Amino acid sequence: MGKQFEITNNIRKLRFFADEMTQQQLAEKAEVSRQTIIAIEGGKYSPSLELAFRIAHAFGVHINEVFDYRVVENKK
Amino acid sequence: MSYQIAKTVANILSGIAILVVYLFYVSSSYQANLLSMNELKSWAQIMLIFIGLGIAMAIVVQIIFHILFSIGLAVKQSINNGNCSDQEIEKTIQMEMVEDEMGKLIELKSMRVSYIAAGIGFVTSLFYLVFDYPVVVTLNILFVSFFIGGILDSFTQLYYYTRGV
Repeated sequence: MGKQFEITNNIRKLRFFADEMTQQQLAEKAEVSRQTIIAIEGGKYSPSLELAFRIAHAFGVHINEVFDYRVVENKK
Repeated sequence: MSYQIAKTVANILSGIAILVVYLFYVSSSYQANLLSMNELKSWAQIMLIFIGLGIAMAIVVQIIFHILFSIGLAVKQSINNGNCSDQEIEKTIQMEMVEDEMGKLIELKSMRVSYIAAGIGFVTSLFYLVFDYPVVVTLNILFVSFFIGGILDSFTQLYYYTRGV
């Protein structure tokens, strides 16, 4: 039985509460491409610490409110 | 379809087109006895021409791609907002073209794949030399493996952009 780590995010929810901010607008604020925002939001890419802070800053919230780090038990 | 994915697809298509044209040209010239296994100079000339063609085609494809992408954006914006301005389109393209950390990571990973393909081609070409095949075969394997490496580079980028890193 091993341990796996999972990084989840609340970007979709935060975009909704930020007056339905578009992915393009968030990309502009975080100074990355829209493709990167799509990948992060879909959990396909884990951003660097710097980018994670930039995204949190774009929403004006603490990084903990954007990203969540969890340990998942692997039963294999 | 995002800018990066569309650009990668354009690169794949242009790479495959050049490779197919090269293989077709070389095989038809060889069958027509215009090329022989001993004329290394002619083979080198053809390869240099195709390298030049490949570079020119990549530039032309990128220009056409940018024009089509801009038209696509303009149509999309005019459908969504009712109007579109050149500045907005330019700004959107500039935003899409931003090379960020994910792009750099994908580029590094895909470059590794292309190096592996070119490396395998190089080793294979050496084996052909060892087994007394003509030098032209070695040259062609090297040339084709570099092109295939470039195409695999684009395919790897496409994979990482669609499936995630």
